[in-house]
Amino acid sequence: MQNNEFSSDHLDVLKELMNIAMGNATANIADLLQAFGTMHIPHLQISDVDGLKNYIKMTISSEDEYYVTKQLFGGKIGGEFIFLVNKESAINLGNYLYDTVKVSDADIMDAVIELTNILSSTTIGRLTDELNTKVQFFAPYTEVVSGDPLISEEETLNYHKIIIISTVLEFQKHKISGQIFILSRDEMIISLRELIDQKLEELYS
Amino acid sequence: MKILVVDDSKLARLTLIKTLKEHEPSADIIEAENGDIAVELYKAKSPCVVFLDLTMPVMDGYEALKLIMEINPRAQVVVVSADIQMQAQALVLALGAKLMVPKPINSDKMLAVLQQLVF
Ligand SMILES: [Mg+2]
Repeated sequence: MQNNEFSSDHLDVLKELMNIAMGNATANIADLLQAFGTMHIPHLQISDVDGLKNYIKMTISSEDEYYVTKQLFGGKIGGEFIFLVNKESAINLGNYLYDTVKVSDADIMDAVIELTNILSSTTIGRLTDELNTKVQFFAPYTEVVSGDPLISEEETLNYHKIIIISTVLEFQKHKISGQIFILSRDEMIISLRELIDQKLEELYS
Repeated sequence: MKILVVDDSKLARLTLIKTLKEHEPSADIIEAENGDIAVELYKAKSPCVVFLDLTMPVMDGYEALKLIMEINPRAQVVVVSADIQMQAQALVLALGAKLMVPKPINSDKMLAVLQQLVF
């Protein structure tokens, strides 16, 4: 394994920057939902495709149905932002945002995309700000999946070494919780490491 | 002057200590990486200020704050957190924190904090 090119210090920096980014995202969503969000410690690991599959299996239930929204971003660093909510949370979100108890599937989908957009832009935006870089976002798309086929077989062909950043978004008042995954792969790991090295240099100077 | 810096992130501790040293070069700094260690160090070393993170493994900052305030109701605890929600701030102030500062800390924020503490 070439994991040693991304040291525990690099992981620590990324984890803390993700923590700060999630603080911003949670505050934005808290405004939208008029509720308090519980913050969780982000999880970070460098893994191969099998490791990613195992991690997903461990984190999400294979019995639930999920709304999965994926959004690609690119620039000096790039990757994929994935937001996953189970059906119950998605319905609660739709009910709250549309202020009704009977939301249509299209409305739920719309609410999930809206939430993901806020989440991805604030999280990735803050993360890249802290790393003194910028990224571009591509249009998100949502699909309903059951079980763990979060990453399709054809998608995994593109992944060899992956940085997994994941955390939980939780608003107990509305019974809404979701899982965020940020995946960055292969060549991106090198540029990400360079940005983190610059950050560390500033700090030690 | 003894100061306890509590954060699970090494980066966060380094950043905080760096800005602290700019204003208080002679500060005697003790570090802890979770709430549990922080409470033990607080008991053993009685620092005059504690900089405390909230999201940490083993014991989070809310719990550590409660315990530190039980040990010393006049403890000066400054919460430094990524959680910028109003409710989080209200909660830590109700638990007895002297101040809450949003992460990341920088030199200006540190100066403003130090001016509000009693040494
Ligand atoms: Mg922390």
